[in-house]
Amino acid sequence: MQIIDICVETIILKEQNIYTEDSLVEALRNHDNDAYQHLYIHYRGALYSIISQFINDVEIANDVLQDVFLAVYKNIDKYDENKGRLFTWLHTLTRNTTINTTRSKTFKSQQKNEPITDFVSSLDSTNNTQQNINLIGLRKQVHLLREDYKNVLELSYYNGYTQEEIAQALDIPLGTVKTRLRNALIELRKQFI
Amino acid sequence: MINRDSISSGIIEQYVLGLCNDTEKAEIEIFRKQDSLFKEAILLFEEELEEKMMRHSFLPGVTSDDKILQKLKSLAEPTLAPVLPIVNRAKKIVKFSFAKIAAAASLLLLSVSAFFNYTQYKKNIEQTTLLASKNYAANTLPLSNYNILKDPNITPVAMMGVPAHSICRCTMFWDKSTGKAYIMIHHLVNSGTSKDYQLWATVNGKQVAVGIVNDEIRDKFVEVSGMPADANEFALILENAGGDKLPGSDVYLKGKI
Repeated sequence: MQIIDICVETIILKEQNIYTEDSLVEALRNHDNDAYQHLYIHYRGALYSIISQFINDVEIANDVLQDVFLAVYKNIDKYDENKGRLFTWLHTLTRNTTINTTRSKTFKSQQKNEPITDFVSSLDSTNNTQQNINLIGLRKQVHLLREDYKNVLELSYYNGYTQEEIAQALDIPLGTVKTRLRNALIELRKQFI
Repeated sequence: MINRDSISSGIIEQYVLGLCNDTEKAEIEIFRKQDSLFKEAILLFEEELEEKMMRHSFLPGVTSDDKILQKLKSLAEPTLAPVLPIVNRAKKIVKFSFAKIAAAASLLLLSVSAFFNYTQYKKNIEQTTLLASKNYAANTLPLSNYNILKDPNITPVAMMGVPAHSICRCTMFWDKSTGKAYIMIHHLVNSGTSKDYQLWATVNGKQVAVGIVNDEIRDKFVEVSGMPADANEFALILENAGGDKLPGSDVYLKGKI
């Protein structure tokens, strides 16, 4: 049903072309309800799939998704279109919100150490099989990278470590962290992005 | 040092994904203003990222959708006027006993409630009569039945706002084989109590009344019955309450196949 739902929404969005990115941002800044509904319907899937790379628990992932959209509402004035596209800002906001959640005491105490494969099996039962393969594909691509690339990318992207923290944690020079991280991203872009 | 050679160094990917430190970010932001190729390379990766993320996305549950949409709606709704300070009136109020104040408040609440109930009742009666008499089907399409809209026989019709009402939008999905049509309102100006939106279909150059569209139902597919088989153009016109026999001139939306 959700796949169908997104198809219908895609048709609507394509047919209607309600907002350009500029007009959407302007409407969001004016706290226009329609604009927020449009934003949610259009981007929820992509943002939810980002969150799900970090968080196995569906309920917590849903809560984080809500936090992300509330953060958009509160911080939309901080978005600067000269520094990037709206989705890029949403992606960063989502990643930061998710990492903050995973670092919270509540989250840590709720963690059941469910392996990612179990999470995928549970989602498969909700008719999201194709999407989950893709999700796993993304995470899998990271794990298919060379060990040294994978380690810095995991610490940087998924754990929110700064480059200095990674250098300290892995006991390697900062320059090496930078090189490995950039090479890892180039590899990942070739394979997945 | 960021320069044009940095385009293929991985720093653009690092920047877009939010993995740069403050110094790197500042350098990139300066250089992107100076070098159009560098700026284009950033934009290209941003677009690639968005496209892939959108393609590989999957949805949260419907319950979550409802909860979040409701929350966003409540935030965007206008807040009530602030309560005026009553500091100067406090002395006067003290003179009344609590029982008297409570009795007065109860009476006031009762009056307001009675008035509200009456107007609501009247509105409901009017609405029911309208729905019954104007060939308007208030049946919303359950989410579980959205699959029918994937049918290749279904014709989507985008109804766009005319220049004076460009913010208004709705979408119609019309199954010519069954004659059933579903309309979803995304945005319409409130019609008020003395007016209604009436859907008109053009058949062989003549406009035919299809039914009244309730502008209060939003973002749900509402079934519209009695769509003429040969219709090729549609218009949503603000008419007198209950609809008119001939189309008026206050056109809000137009769409064609």
